[in-house]
Amino acid sequence: MSWFLSWLSGAILYAAPILYPTLGEVVGQRTGMVNLGLEGLMLLGASISFAVSFLTQNAWVGILAAAGAGLTANFVYAWLVVHRNASQLAAGLALMFFGIGMSALIGKPYVGQMAAYLPKYPLLGPKSLVFRYDILVYFAFALAPLVWFFLFRTSFGLKLRAVGESPAIAYAAGVSPAFMRYFAAAFTGVMAAVGGAHLALGIAGTWSEGMTAGRGFIAIALVIFSRWNPLRAIIGALVFGGAVVLQLQLQAQGIGVSAFLMDMIPYVLTVLVLLVWGRGVRYVAPASLGRVYFGTE
Amino acid sequence: MKRVFLGVLLAAIGGWALAAEPCLVVGMIIGGTKDDAGYNQSQYEALMALKEKMPCVEILFAENVPEGEAEAVLESMIQQGAKLLFPAGFGYMFPALNVAKRHPDVIFMHPGGYMLADNFGTYFSNVQFAYYLLGVAAGLMTKTNKIGFIGGMPIAFVLGNCNAFHLGARAVNPNVTTYFVVTGAWLDRAKEVAATQALIQQGCDVIGSHLDSPIAVAQTCCEAEVFFVGYPSLAVQKFCPEYWITGLGLTWGDFFVEIAQQVLAGTWQPAHVRRGIEAGFITLGEFGPKVPEEVKKVVLEYKARLISGELQPFAGPIRDQAGNVRIPEGTAWGPLDMGKFDWLAEGIVGSPK
Repeated sequence: MSWFLSWLSGAILYAAPILYPTLGEVVGQRTGMVNLGLEGLMLLGASISFAVSFLTQNAWVGILAAAGAGLTANFVYAWLVVHRNASQLAAGLALMFFGIGMSALIGKPYVGQMAAYLPKYPLLGPKSLVFRYDILVYFAFALAPLVWFFLFRTSFGLKLRAVGESPAIAYAAGVSPAFMRYFAAAFTGVMAAVGGAHLALGIAGTWSEGMTAGRGFIAIALVIFSRWNPLRAIIGALVFGGAVVLQLQLQAQGIGVSAFLMDMIPYVLTVLVLLVWGRGVRYVAPASLGRVYFGTE
Repeated sequence: MKRVFLGVLLAAIGGWALAAEPCLVVGMIIGGTKDDAGYNQSQYEALMALKEKMPCVEILFAENVPEGEAEAVLESMIQQGAKLLFPAGFGYMFPALNVAKRHPDVIFMHPGGYMLADNFGTYFSNVQFAYYLLGVAAGLMTKTNKIGFIGGMPIAFVLGNCNAFHLGARAVNPNVTTYFVVTGAWLDRAKEVAATQALIQQGCDVIGSHLDSPIAVAQTCCEAEVFFVGYPSLAVQKFCPEYWITGLGLTWGDFFVEIAQQVLAGTWQPAHVRRGIEAGFITLGEFGPKVPEEVKKVVLEYKARLISGELQPFAGPIRDQAGNVRIPEGTAWGPLDMGKFDWLAEGIVGSPK
């Protein structure tokens, strides 16, 4: 039982930094934008949050700075795809490489340094090692239903989704596709950067180059896995976090499981989900996903 | 008048160039950053020590060099006159060998490699032998008789360190069980935290590791109030000074100076240079505040015996997890056998694959 609790506790912790970018990307893709730059945004968030937290000795200022940076960087992406009609894939990849390089540059003086970290609030009493989380973990799981409510139960969310289905029809109905996409891009940028910042200041407590280790891509896979639904994104993130922790726990108990095999789980599940739900009407991708909207004459 | 002035100018430039003519141009490339509190930093610091001790040497240096670009960067260093090159990353072995074939007059020294050529030698620390000392410390410090080891990848050198850690601990505490976990990446901080937590959950109260840098491990140990040992840099101590037992740092001693002097004198010979704690290739760190005097005494005794050569960490009989004798009685594995580990010693829980 204690083994199960410790697994669950770990699964929740490692789900959080991946849930942020997944939620951000769900909203972004709901407006029809695929953003392959999540990894870059996460790295940017991680390095900036760490640098600012180091300089100000305040983790919250670090998180805010990361959010600001993620928002700014993703606005550039949005400007490229919305106003310059750039290919989303090309713009996203450019953003990714920019984030990888920029984060390395920003973080360079802070490799091997100590910053102010997020305080932990244990759920089960101060001595317990399980369920000890920083506030961003609680916030991630609270945010998912809020995003769901916003997307599926508010008229603003409906308009946002309409842009993802057909920008031309949304435009005819009086919704500005450009505004919705900028709005969604801002949200994606903030979420991805906060996810990276959580990794640096909440979990690892350090900055090192490339420390997100591909989580930005796992988040994109989880968006498909969750079929663009913020609530199912929780399950996806937990599956990912759970696989990481389970594999290490099994090893510690002498049950040999290949780390490399376990790392494949999120992707294998995504492929399975596509296989099973691929053509179901309820689970289909936003119709205009990935397409450039040239405006309505 | 004009001509005289030009002549003076040329003479001045010539004189300046002669004065600045370096006795040797030495180049180094590394795969990471020069201040990573780990492997790359140790190589860079050894290069800087060379510059300090031999000011006539000119240094060429490039960091963050991908393996695919190594050949081009090494070639450009040779264009700039480099006669001694340190392609200081394991993955540079074959690119550097290719360049070495094209430039027989340039000497290459590669860390950790297993290839030799007329102008290509290798060097590395006997890390596994020194890791035995960390095992001794862990075996004395553990209360639960369970110690943990986190490896990045299940390669021979990692398995060797885990075996040394375990054998050292067993030497002073026969009841010790070592739990071995692989993260599958040299650098994934979040996974390193999860691995540390899994080992602590298993009851381990001393954690050793072989990663890019164990900063995240140290911080997790601090939170759980569990001891740890550091490798490959002593810089990790500051991340959790309270629960730090001791550690190993790669230092390389005066080796780079020795090689540069050999190259200058023309006496350099290709060889696999493997040295340990006795030559300053690796350094045992200071002890943490919670380490009792008796423990320090025993560890330093073992260190003295290791340096004198009396202690052979991999002397048989050593059995693997299945009970098969891997190192027979009367024989011992030496520094060049460290790449042969594909097994874990008896008493280690975990998989060597």
